[in-house]
Amino acid sequence: MSTAATSQAPAPLPTLEHLFTEFANGVYTLAYRILGDRYLAEDVVQETFIKVIRSLDTYRGEGPIAGWLYRIGYREAIAATRKRREQPTEDDELVRRADRPIESVESTVMGMELARKLDEAIASLSDPLRAAFTLRDIEGLTTAEVAAVSDISESAVKMRLARAREALRIQLKEYLA
Amino acid sequence: MTMTCDELDALLPEFMDGSLTEGQQAAAAEHLATCNQCRIEVSELEGVGELYRTHGRLQLPEESRRRIAEALGLDTGVA
Repeated sequence: MSTAATSQAPAPLPTLEHLFTEFANGVYTLAYRILGDRYLAEDVVQETFIKVIRSLDTYRGEGPIAGWLYRIGYREAIAATRKRREQPTEDDELVRRADRPIESVESTVMGMELARKLDEAIASLSDPLRAAFTLRDIEGLTTAEVAAVSDISESAVKMRLARAREALRIQLKEYLA
Repeated sequence: MTMTCDELDALLPEFMDGSLTEGQQAAAAEHLATCNQCRIEVSELEGVGELYRTHGRLQLPEESRRRIAEALGLDTGVA
């Protein structure tokens, strides 16, 4: 096929390898922020990409693929929170309190301390606020994409974002000077 | 036409999204130019997102990444 013909064809779907490389950390961040448990978050990553593999053929290019993929990840994470609520284990709360991802982007003591403060502050938010903030302000989805991922209106997203940002601003004031 | 602190507060999500109308954006900018308190608040709210983008993103542990990729049958080039 000539280069000219290729340039006129619809953009090919990204490969699964590309999607995994591009979005595994983002789905993990979202799932961890929702669940507060690295092992459950890893399960969510795996389940998300199993669903991506099964349904990539049905993705018709409506909207950015990031929104489509995060929607699957978000649903998996919410399903995991429901499952945990319905089938709690004795040490769930212990894990939730003690568990932190062992592999942080931070390597200095000060960086680790800041990462811990950020973890604690975002963990204090309600699930809906935490999910909206993670998708919009950490993962960089647009407000419209967050609304689509979460099945809520854009005005509801804005309200959740405003509450989340304000709560975090108050808790993290010493780092915002 | 400028706006009050309360009016800006009500429009903060749109302001931070950059989705205000041209007139609203100008009024907000005018208010921020004269109101130190609002300027600090907006700066801090924007700083929250920056903090998390810089220090709060998580990385899937390498061993887990490899295990999941293998389970999915993906070749991601991770040795």
